Amino acid sequence: MDQVIQVKDLRKDFKSHSSRPGLKGAFRDLFNRNYSIISAVKDISFEVKQGEMVGYIGENGAGKSTSIKMLTGILTPTDGTVTVNGMNPHKEREKFVSSIGVVFGQRSQLWWDIAVQESFKLLKKVYNVSDEDYEAHMTHVIDSLDIGPLLDKPVRKLSLGQRMRCELAAALLHNPPLLFLDEPTIGLDVLVKLKIRNFLKEINEKYKTTILLTTHDLTDIEALCERVIMLDEGQIIYDGKLANLRSNWGEGKQIEFQFAEEVTKDELSPLMKELDAEWTASERKNVWVANVVNEEHVISEVIGRVVAAHRITDVKIHEISTEEIIRNIYEEGVVDGKIY
Amino acid sequence: MKHAAIFFHYVSQYMKTRLTYRVDMLMEIMSDLLFQAVNLVFILVVFGHTQFLSGWSRDEIIFIYGFFLVPFAIFGAFFNIWDFNERYIVKGEMDRILTRPVHSLFQIILERMELESLFGMITGIAVMVYAGMRLDLSISWYDPFIFILMVIGGAFVYAGIFVMLASISFWSDSRTSIIPMMYNIGNYGRYPVDIYNKVIRFILTWILPFAFVGVYPSAYFLGREDWYVYAFLTPVVGFGFFFLSIFIWNVGVTKYRGAGN
Repeated sequence: MDQVIQVKDLRKDFKSHSSRPGLKGAFRDLFNRNYSIISAVKDISFEVKQGEMVGYIGENGAGKSTSIKMLTGILTPTDGTVTVNGMNPHKEREKFVSSIGVVFGQRSQLWWDIAVQESFKLLKKVYNVSDEDYEAHMTHVIDSLDIGPLLDKPVRKLSLGQRMRCELAAALLHNPPLLFLDEPTIGLDVLVKLKIRNFLKEINEKYKTTILLTTHDLTDIEALCERVIMLDEGQIIYDGKLANLRSNWGEGKQIEFQFAEEVTKDELSPLMKELDAEWTASERKNVWVANVVNEEHVISEVIGRVVAAHRITDVKIHEISTEEIIRNIYEEGVVDGKIY
Repeated sequence: MKHAAIFFHYVSQYMKTRLTYRVDMLMEIMSDLLFQAVNLVFILVVFGHTQFLSGWSRDEIIFIYGFFLVPFAIFGAFFNIWDFNERYIVKGEMDRILTRPVHSLFQIILERMELESLFGMITGIAVMVYAGMRLDLSISWYDPFIFILMVIGGAFVYAGIFVMLASISFWSDSRTSIIPMMYNIGNYGRYPVDIYNKVIRFILTWILPFAFVGVYPSAYFLGREDWYVYAFLTPVVGFGFFFLSIFIWNVGVTKYRGAGN
């Protein structure tokens, strides 16, 4: 299959000057500045195939936005090569941007004062979309995003959810084969989020649109992306299937028992004989957690033995959430080798 | 002509936006016209007391002033991007501009245009007609075309300088007070440059060529033959400066650092 995005040893350095403290320092800064080079993105490489939906995640300041901006031609890379849709985004910017759609969740693409459809008309001119193409494509987009009734309202009168749906429609006006979404669901309610997710799935299936999505909301990623690229301090620390991330890191389950009377670890430990599991005490009184591997017979065996030996008032089974997995990865830093 | 189509679309959008706020627009037009009228009276009063200024008569000076207003009005309508740094660099609006398939400067001009400024052209032409009649200037059939060429040249001089200043923001996003200062220096172009000393005259001709907005092109219409070389350099300097500024702008765009979010 075609590679839509090819990134090789991509690097972006920012030069920033650090000011010295005090008035004396300010005077010295006038003549001789301390520059330090900060690398926001450090030699990353990856490829994205046509029709993939990729989640691009990382903490604030991990280099997500910087790399997205290099992929969309906004920033010039310090080093390395970027090829998107067969073009160099920065060199052929004007030609290149007609082949992508961009949504920045925190920044509006639409004109504030004029009606949504007037904005669409302007963008239609800017992107040079013919009337037939516009009709054929946008009727569908407007329908599935359910923004028909909003078209004659000025953007400033729309709610955030309404605006976001219009932004998405605006980004798709020229039916780009590649879509960049930077925090598209930030601050939206569950219903709007669902609508946007379904819509993205639909266009991905219908037009084979490649989607690169950054978000802090991991439920977006779980709902949409098979593949995730995880960044930390400007480097890729994980690139692969979301499912693998789960099975490698979220392997175990936790069974939480609330006992009717006080128990000690010595009493509980013998119950785990020959089983791959161990106990940890919870902060709450008489609550113990059994960490077990995710296998049916182990889970039922543990519950069976505990229930047979002690009186309990409550049992809960937890699966480790993606959010927890990712938090663990960040806390431990770079992912160890086994994950690849 | 994709650019022309986009331009007219933006203009019609601009009109529509203005028309939605009817009262607002009416007030604005009124105040613009009033401002121009006051300006006109002011010019006549100020120059009422001068008779000659190093070889230039009062009416000639008024004529230069009138001419100056025309390119200045065009500049004000389209290239008034003094808030570029604040609006596009600090707030990061430049990101949005750069994701659209039209030249970035062209988009910014379209977004920031203020067509009301064009009223200044009326004042300018009125002043020129008044002074011209008193001077008994004769007009040939080709003069209007030369006038248009000179006006475009003059507007491009202004545009070039301000685009270059705006481009500085790509390298350094700290606020500068250069722009208000530049408006002041621009005013020097309204007066005959030979009243200044040699250094200032050199600066106004070659470094910050504001003299090509007022005195030099007017010299042609006033029939001052010793200035004709400069007069006909107006379009050359205008286009030269403007293209240089676009070049600097394009280099600047590659240095754009983006705003954090």
